[in-house]
Amino acid sequence: MRKILLKTLGITVLILLLAACTDNSSSEGDKKHLTFVYNFATNSLDPNVDSSYVPLRAGMTETLVRLNEETLTIEPWLAESWEGTNEGREWTIKLRDGINFQNGEPMDAEAVKASLERSLKDNVAIQNALKIDSIEATDDKTLHITNSQAFPEFVSELVNPNVSIIDVAAGDFVNNPIGTGPFKLESFTPGSKLELVRNEDYWDEKAKLDSVTFSFNEDANARSLALESGDADVVFRPETESIESLEAKDGVKVESTETFRVHQLTMNMQREALKDVNVRKALDALINREEIANSVLLGYAQPAKGPFPDSLPFAPSYSDHETGEEVAKEYLKKAGYSLVDGKMQKDGKPLELTMLTYSARADLPLIAQIFQSDAKKLGIDVELRQIEIPEEYMAANRDWDLATYSNLTAPRGDAGYYLNATYHPDGALNFSGADEPELTKIIDELNVTVDTDKRAELAEAAANYVDENQINSFVIYPDTLVAYDETKVKNWVTTRSEYYMITNQLDVK
Amino acid sequence: MFRIIGRRLLEVVLFILFVTFFSFLFLRLAPGDPALTILNVDELNVSQEQVEALREDMGFNDPLLVQYGKWLLDFIQLDFGTSYITSQPVTEMLLSGLPATLELTIGSLIVMLLVAIPLGSLSALYKDSWVDHISRYFSIIGAAVPSFWLGLILIDMFAVRLSWFPTMGRDSLLSLVLPAVTLGLAIAGVYVRLLRSSLLDSLGQEFVRAARARGIAERRIFFSHAFRYSLPPVITVFGVSLGSLIGGVVVVEVLFAYPGVGKLVVDSIRQRDYPLIQGYIVLMAAIVFVVNTLVDISYRYVNPELRLKKGTSAR
Repeated sequence: MRKILLKTLGITVLILLLAACTDNSSSEGDKKHLTFVYNFATNSLDPNVDSSYVPLRAGMTETLVRLNEETLTIEPWLAESWEGTNEGREWTIKLRDGINFQNGEPMDAEAVKASLERSLKDNVAIQNALKIDSIEATDDKTLHITNSQAFPEFVSELVNPNVSIIDVAAGDFVNNPIGTGPFKLESFTPGSKLELVRNEDYWDEKAKLDSVTFSFNEDANARSLALESGDADVVFRPETESIESLEAKDGVKVESTETFRVHQLTMNMQREALKDVNVRKALDALINREEIANSVLLGYAQPAKGPFPDSLPFAPSYSDHETGEEVAKEYLKKAGYSLVDGKMQKDGKPLELTMLTYSARADLPLIAQIFQSDAKKLGIDVELRQIEIPEEYMAANRDWDLATYSNLTAPRGDAGYYLNATYHPDGALNFSGADEPELTKIIDELNVTVDTDKRAELAEAAANYVDENQINSFVIYPDTLVAYDETKVKNWVTTRSEYYMITNQLDVK
Repeated sequence: MFRIIGRRLLEVVLFILFVTFFSFLFLRLAPGDPALTILNVDELNVSQEQVEALREDMGFNDPLLVQYGKWLLDFIQLDFGTSYITSQPVTEMLLSGLPATLELTIGSLIVMLLVAIPLGSLSALYKDSWVDHISRYFSIIGAAVPSFWLGLILIDMFAVRLSWFPTMGRDSLLSLVLPAVTLGLAIAGVYVRLLRSSLLDSLGQEFVRAARARGIAERRIFFSHAFRYSLPPVITVFGVSLGSLIGGVVVVEVLFAYPGVGKLVVDSIRQRDYPLIQGYIVLMAAIVFVVNTLVDISYRYVNPELRLKKGTSAR
C-alpha cells in the first residue's frame, strides 16, 4: 500500500515538473497567441462603470468616437459622423452601417441608446461628464441627443471608455459584457486575467491574433520578471530600475511614450507669501527640471514648460522661463525679500513653506525632496508633509503652501476638463484657489465654443494666462513605459491616451 | 453541551459587534471617502457641488452612529451591501476571492509544516549541534527577510532562470508552489524555534524519563509522547498568529497576482470602499474565530491530560 502511494506521488510530481517546463506563452501550432500584462487589476469588467477600462483596452468593447493618437483629434469609430448645433446643446450622431454585437445582435440606434442610458444610470461620474438630458433614436442609424446645457466638447467626452457601447439586453456586465470589438471574452478570472479569442464577425478588419491573454499584475518587479521568463510578451509599465537589465536581454524592446500627464507643483494662492506673483515665479525658477527628469524618472520624462505638452494642438508657445538660483533670488528681491543670517526674509519674517506630497505616485515625494534641498540653498525652509489622499486633504485644509500633484491635462484630447477642474472657481481640483476673473472668463467662453480652432485658441489663451501668472508650476511630463519581446510581437503601439492596447492590428511573428 | 454552544454564540455576536464597530469607526475617522474615486476626478470634470451632492446622497455626511446603524441593520439581514466602486454585491466579491486565499493559506501551512517539523525536531534532538545552529540561522533569516523580496528571489530563480513554475497567476497547482513557498518559509522560522523549545521542555519531563526507564524505544518515546506533549503551545501560537498570516497573504497575493481576498482588500482600502472593507473584516473575524475554536477543541485531542481533567470534574 505504502509503495503504491509513494509511486503515485512520485509520478504526480514528475508530471507536474514536466508540465512546468513547457512554455505556455508560445503559440500552439499555427495559432497566434499573445500574453499581455497590465499594471492594474480589476474584479469587474463592467465597461460602463469600472474605471480600469479593461474591456476597451483588451479590444472587447468600442466607443462611438475615438482619439486619433497621431493628430490627437477625434475620429469616427462606431459612429460615422456627428453634428452639434445650438452651442453644442443638440447633437445628431449617425452610426456606422452593418455593425453587430459579438452575440450577433445588431448595433442599431435603439441598442446604442440603451447602452448610453445604462452608462448614465449606473455611473454618476459619466452622468456629470456627459450632461445628457435625453436621447432619441430618430431612425435605425441616427441618434438625437439633447444636453442639459451648452456643451461643445460633448463628442470628445464620448471617447471615455466608460461610454463603451454594449448590448445591454445581454446582461452580466460584470463578468461577460458583450461589445463590438475585435476580441471576444472566453473567460475571466476576477483580479487575475482575461482569456480572449478573435471575434470572427468583427465589422472592421479581423484581428490578426487568434487569442490573447490579458493578465494583471500590480507589482512592477514581477511584471519585468514575467517578460524575462517568457511568461509575458508585452508588459505595461515594467519597473523603471529594471529597464537596463531588460534592454540588455536579446530581443526585448522598451518603448517610452509621452502621455497627457503633467507632474506639477500646486501653489496655494490664498497663502500670504504666495499671493505675490514674484514669489511664485521665484519658486518656479528653483525647480531643477532636468535633474528631476534624469534622477527621479531616470530620463523617462521631459521637462515641462506648461500644463499642455507641445504635441497637443492647443499647446501655446510658452515663454522661456529662466531658471536657477540667481533668477530665483532676483524675483525674491523684487518681492521684497533679502537674505539675512542665511534666511530669506521680508520685514523680519523668514520665508518658510509647507509642502504636501503623497506616496501613491512614487516620483512625487522624491521631487519634493529635491525641491526642498534646492530651496534650502536659498535660505528658504521647506517643511515636507506626507498626506494620504491629496484631493481630499487639499480641499479640506488650507494650511499648506505647495503641493506635488499629478494631473491629466487632456485625457480625451480636449483641454476643457483640465481647465475647468483646475482653474475654474467651481472646479473640484482647483486647489490653488484660483479665482481670476480674466481666466474664468476665458474658460466660460471655452465652455460654449463649438469651433475646434476657436477652442484651441481659447485653451492656448488660458494656458498662457496660467503660465504668465504662475498659478501653478509645471515640473515634468512623465513617460509611459512598455516593454515587449521584439522577436515575437508585431505592431504594438503604445498610445498616449493609454486607452487602446489590444487591437485588431496587433500580431505575433 | 447546549449551554456551551449558546455561550459561544453569544461570544461570537459580541465579538463581531465589537470588531465591526471599531473598524467602522477607524475607517471613517481616517481621512478620505470614496466620493472622489466614484466621480473619477482624475479624468472627468466635476464641480465641488457635485462632490458635495454625492456625499450627501451616499450618506457620508450623516453622523457616524447613524451610518453604522444602517450598516448593522443590513448586516443582521446578512446583506453586506454593494461595493461603491464596482457596484457588485460584497458577498459575491469576497466569495470569489476566498478559494484562492484559502488555497494559498493551506499551501503555505503545508510548506511551513514540512520545514518546521523536521527542522524543529532535529534541532531539539541534536541541541547545540550544527543542525541546531543552522536551524537558528534559518529562523532569524526567515523572520528578517520580507516576503515580497523572498518572492522576487524565488521568481527569479525558479520561474525566470529554471522555468519550472509560472511567474504569476493562478492557472494550475503549479502556480501555487512559489507563492506558498514564499509565505511558508516566511512564517516557518517562528515555528521552528517554538517547536524546538517546546520539545526540549517535554523531553526533560518525568514521563519521558519513565518511558526510557521502561526501555521503550527512543523513536517511539519521541513521536508518541514527547512530540505530542509539545504541540499545545505551538497550536496556541498558531491560533493567535493566524491574523498575521492572513496579513502576509496580502503581500504575496499582490506579488504573484494571485486573485484572493487580500488583494481585493488592498484596493478597497485605497479607494475607501467601505462596504467591501467592512465585509472583509467580518469574514476575517469569522475565520479567526472558527480557527481559534478549532484550536480549543484540538487541545483535547493532542493532550490527553485535558480530557482526563474534564472527565474527573464531570464525575
